[in-house]
Amino acid sequence: MISQKTMELLISSFPKILEFGLKVTLPLAIIAFILSTVLAVLVAMVQFAEVPVLKQICRFYIWVIRGTPLLVQLMVAFYGLPLIGIHANPFVMAVIVFTINEGAYSAETMRAAMEAVPAGQLEAGYCVGMNFMQIMWHIILPQSFRTAFPSLFNALISMVKDTSLASSITVVEMFTRTKQIAGQSYNYLPLYIEVAIVYLLFCTVLTFVQKKGEKILGSYGVRK
Amino acid sequence: MALLEVKNLHKKFDATEVLMGVDLTVEKGDVVSILGPSGSGKTTLLRCINFLEKADEGDLVFGEKTYHLPKVSRDDISSIRKRTGFVFQNYNLFANKTVLHNVTLGLTSARHVHAKEAEKKALEVLRKVGMADYAGQYPSQLSGGQQQRVAIARALATDPDIIYFDEPTSALDPELTAEVLEVMRELAHEGMTMIVVTHEISFAKEVSSKVVFMADGKVVEEGTGAEFFENPKMDRTKEFLRLTKN
Repeated sequence: MISQKTMELLISSFPKILEFGLKVTLPLAIIAFILSTVLAVLVAMVQFAEVPVLKQICRFYIWVIRGTPLLVQLMVAFYGLPLIGIHANPFVMAVIVFTINEGAYSAETMRAAMEAVPAGQLEAGYCVGMNFMQIMWHIILPQSFRTAFPSLFNALISMVKDTSLASSITVVEMFTRTKQIAGQSYNYLPLYIEVAIVYLLFCTVLTFVQKKGEKILGSYGVRK
Repeated sequence: MALLEVKNLHKKFDATEVLMGVDLTVEKGDVVSILGPSGSGKTTLLRCINFLEKADEGDLVFGEKTYHLPKVSRDDISSIRKRTGFVFQNYNLFANKTVLHNVTLGLTSARHVHAKEAEKKALEVLRKVGMADYAGQYPSQLSGGQQQRVAIARALATDPDIIYFDEPTSALDPELTAEVLEVMRELAHEGMTMIVVTHEISFAKEVSSKVVFMADGKVVEEGTGAEFFENPKMDRTKEFLRLTKN
């Protein structure tokens, strides 16, 4: 059973863990997610529009990022960016790396969603006189965003948990904070289970947000 | 001066020659029906003159200017499309837009018409096709015939010089076909210039000022409505008309 002492430790550390979750883990994941989605839309659009040269650059970017571990990317950025004169604090650096990493995956999600929009939608857009960008903005992006939304949210939920890797570049996020507390008390397992529950809590809330979001984005009158 | 002229249009898909030198003249106010068996190139012809397909050879005279089809600039394509309307076989209404916005988008987005003015115009054309009561619905909530009528309203909204219809009733049952043809009949009577690719022989007979019969990528025969149906000259046309009589 849980001893009195462990119980007290769990209760006293809960607000400390939660604090770093709300102040570091969630902001890191959410900021990087938003930026990565913007990046993904641009990368997907370049490919959808078949822009020469840029398209090859995008394929190269996706190839490199998907082919190397996130942890390695964090390390390369941490030691590499200062060499080219970029001195960012570790949190900002983590945001950059997570954005670039997730952008590559989400770009493929967005591209698939764009390609799933029937060609007739684009043709009809041209026939009423719109240009490519106008059709993208009014027709293709809204429809593909709706299709991609659940997958994009998958990525966000993944990222909430992957932020623990930011500890490797000295970002004190929720898991690192938990390790510190555990280290001081020599009582590891209960605290790790506690932090697992907090991650689960975050992801539960996000799942709920996803459901709401899907409702707001609507299904264009399709009855479900 | 004809409103639209197609000269020597050629189109290949890989090795398959779909159009082999098609000529077509459309005067203002004409209703030109294009008939012919499947695979004769009717749809490709329409798609080429609205640049949904790139022609390999041929010229387009439109609005007193001549364009060499394989080499039309993006600006010219855009300006020609802004003066034409296109109605697709499978409607292609914008799935994420309401009926009203399907019709206004070509005005607000492509022509920068003020939203209020665009809505007024949209309701006017929707009333014309009998769909004004559905302005707030999404395409998925409508029947095929209703969707096609909205698609016609969308084409009308921009006051085009000509509307291309690509088998507009082929996906509809007889009852829905009738409601769409009724709208098209009305447009024809009002003097709208139209090219209609169709399998509706009786409709073609009734409203066409000119009928063009295509087979195997070529225009086999053309004539005024009465002349074409009563006195077909070519054997291929006679056979087609015999087979489609009922």
